[in-house]
Amino acid sequence: MRAAKVIPGFGLTFGFTITWLSLIVLIPLSAVFIRSAGLGLDAFIAVGLSPRALAAYRLSFGASLAAALVNAVFGLLVAWILVRYDFPGKRIVNALVDLPFALPTAVAGIALTALYAGNGWIGQLLEPYGIKIAYTPFGVVIALIFIGLPFVVRSVEPVLADLGHDVEEAAASLGAGRWQTFQRVIFPAILPALLTGFALAFARGVGEYGSVIFIAGNMPFVSEIAPLLIITQLEQYDYAGATAIATVMLIASFLLLLFINALQVWSRRRMAS
Amino acid sequence: MSIRLENIHKRFGAFTALGDISLEARPGEFLALLGPSGSGKTTLLRIMAGLEFPDNGRVCFDGEDVTGLTVAERNVGFVFQHYALFRHMTVAENIAFGLNVRPRRQRPSRAMIAARVQELLDLVQLGSLGQRYPAQLSGGQRQRVALARALAVDPKLLLLDEPFGALDARVRKDLRRWLRELHDRVGLTSIFVTHDQEEALELADRVVVMDHGVIEQVATPLHVYNEPASAFVFDFVGESNRIPVQVRGGKLFYLGQPLDVPTIGADGPSELFFRPHDAAIVKDDAGAIPALVVQVRPKGAGVRVEGKLIGIDRPFEIDVALDEAPEPGRIIALKPGHPRIFPVSREIDG
Amino acid sequence: MTANTESPRARRLLIGIGLAFLGIFLLLPLVSVFAEALEKGFAAYFAGIAEPDAIAAIRLTLLVAAISVPVNIVFGVAAAWAITKFDFPGKSLLITLIDLPFSVSPVVSGLIFVLLFGAHGWIGPWLQEHDIQIVFAVPGIVLATIFVTFPFVARELIPLMTEQGRDDEEAALSLGASGWQTFWHVTLPNIRWGLLYGVLLCNARAMGEFGAVSVVSGHIRGLTNTMPLHVEILYNEYNFVAAFAVASLLALLALATLVLKSLLEWRFNYHHGGTGH
Repeated sequence: MRAAKVIPGFGLTFGFTITWLSLIVLIPLSAVFIRSAGLGLDAFIAVGLSPRALAAYRLSFGASLAAALVNAVFGLLVAWILVRYDFPGKRIVNALVDLPFALPTAVAGIALTALYAGNGWIGQLLEPYGIKIAYTPFGVVIALIFIGLPFVVRSVEPVLADLGHDVEEAAASLGAGRWQTFQRVIFPAILPALLTGFALAFARGVGEYGSVIFIAGNMPFVSEIAPLLIITQLEQYDYAGATAIATVMLIASFLLLLFINALQVWSRRRMAS
Repeated sequence: MSIRLENIHKRFGAFTALGDISLEARPGEFLALLGPSGSGKTTLLRIMAGLEFPDNGRVCFDGEDVTGLTVAERNVGFVFQHYALFRHMTVAENIAFGLNVRPRRQRPSRAMIAARVQELLDLVQLGSLGQRYPAQLSGGQRQRVALARALAVDPKLLLLDEPFGALDARVRKDLRRWLRELHDRVGLTSIFVTHDQEEALELADRVVVMDHGVIEQVATPLHVYNEPASAFVFDFVGESNRIPVQVRGGKLFYLGQPLDVPTIGADGPSELFFRPHDAAIVKDDAGAIPALVVQVRPKGAGVRVEGKLIGIDRPFEIDVALDEAPEPGRIIALKPGHPRIFPVSREIDG
Repeated sequence: MTANTESPRARRLLIGIGLAFLGIFLLLPLVSVFAEALEKGFAAYFAGIAEPDAIAAIRLTLLVAAISVPVNIVFGVAAAWAITKFDFPGKSLLITLIDLPFSVSPVVSGLIFVLLFGAHGWIGPWLQEHDIQIVFAVPGIVLATIFVTFPFVARELIPLMTEQGRDDEEAALSLGASGWQTFWHVTLPNIRWGLLYGVLLCNARAMGEFGAVSVVSGHIRGLTNTMPLHVEILYNEYNFVAAFAVASLLALLALATLVLKSLLEWRFNYHHGGTGH
């Protein structure tokens, strides 16, 4: 606590931080939990875990998992080529990776819908084979791939760049082939970062709304995601239902957040030496 | 195993890293590549390993051309400057790596690998630390793990890049002696890179002195120290005094006056080199070098005398016995012993 | 060439697959926004943008960003100062709490303000008595936007200021500078690129937020519609050209953000801390 005496402003900045954090984030968030506690357990289960809500959770979590898996594979590949190789337009490609962070989700949603609808650029290529993406659960996965990709790339990239070249040379000098080196030396070293990126993409996908609702079709029990169900309940003035579902989602987000923090601690410990 | 390099050239863009290097190491020999940074010594070591490929020239192991083989195919042990240990593997897993990645048919059984790992751990005196992670070891211990890992694949040649560079002075000295003993025991042809002349002279059977991508001299430590082949080598392998002179008709002139020093060499502007411990203070100043004493400090059994050469304003340092120590401020006459004379032809800087 | 790398063929293959993936999943959607917007020509495009409701939406979006971004700058700088210049117990918990809005679904972020200020909410009846409208009005939109963009500036500054340490500030103070002078002349110049980076991302999210704003807005055309909400309404009315025209403005905003962000990274060699959202 010595520094507190040297640099001024602790009381002011700390007090302001705690007050503003409480007013904007903590008190409003606690409203959800207090309201849902007021519901009573039976009512909570009746709406929060109704068959329709369960189907919505299954879609939100399942599609997020599928999208995060796709992103783990291709995100790693993209991070690899950005760190290891030179090719024309690399800077532009690097900037493009962050597009999902910068593009409003609603814009992404209508653009993806236009692409994958039966008459869209991609949809019309797939339609002859009987493959429908827009207005099906596959559409949800496509939207979540778009949203989640940068999380994996940006998590893996710095760790891959920091990985010393000499470690790979050491593996080769001991007789390891390129694939063995990747499998046994590089992959274990970037695994914590890859898992972190995967979890971040997954967590974002579970709560995602804007990019999904246009392409999903929003059929109850089939292509209705959990955040949409909250909105539907609200539009019917069913505050209890909305609150119950929001509580389930908040608990899921907090568990994921805990998991991600644990991963980052692990990752940092692995990188230290 | 013997290794022979023939006319190796290597450029990086416009920079010539190695210009026409030929070199041979005999079986069981301990060779040092000594030079300042940028002299090309590490590049040369990496070319021997197959981590880098020459633009021209050949690398032969036991007379067999291996120039086109990759590092994985050459079966050399390479110890990296910062060890390059695999951080997510235990010490034992690190050492076993080279055996574990072998194709199934050549891979020893698990029990055999475990036995080999233990044998190597004992060899590098880390017998009980197999289950530790690299992050839990000291610098010197990591260095020995790196060595054990390199030896695990039974290499024909051991290459070490600045093996003591990242260690502090005390550990460095202990490890140096230990590595020399290990080399004598294992009998492997070994080549190491260093910028520390003391290390090279103490450890190696022969020293290869390099500068600006060329070999200046290859000789035993004694020979390199006592009979340096060039001004650069003289300067680099030990402390030196350097004095501008003229060679005229087999005689040496310093500031127009003849110097009482045996002379070999062609006529022309030259430089006279001598080591601090080879100089003497003489009574008779004819044929000697006049110098002003500035400072006298204890050194070993005697003293180190520092000052300026009169007339050319250059510093000098010499070592003399305690009872010969001059007073600071006095003017003395110096007589260089074991001098070397090199014609001034190119820029030399230590 | 060094020995330890993939063959040129493997390399070309990997680059090819990576670029194809990015092309299909990122580039194509971006291109299609502009293609759809211009499908019926420039006249239809500009008609979509110049329509009064669209203009009102643009104005509201700018207003919301103009309030929420400065608020988050003040908070972010204060929080980063408290966290990086002093030691106190519970610091990492505080950082986690500041990051919390990133892990909350945008829809839930909107819902919490309806639960507080809505007609059936805690303060709703009191607000109604005093004729104050928060939810389904501009204040609610601003609040929800501040919530979802809450961590952007702080989480950019905290790693940066941790790395920079306290030496500079202590030196300035030892030379007699006041706290404010130290902040303006020493700290702020040191963190300006990081601050700008955080502000860029914060602004992009503030102007583009959809889910949270959608819950609290009430969707009143010309009054409580931001640009993303206006895009949704036009799209649901099958007015695709107008929807994509307004969307293209948001896409241009995203492109400008990416260009400025890349510029910060190359020109000023700014390496930002974590994974941005």
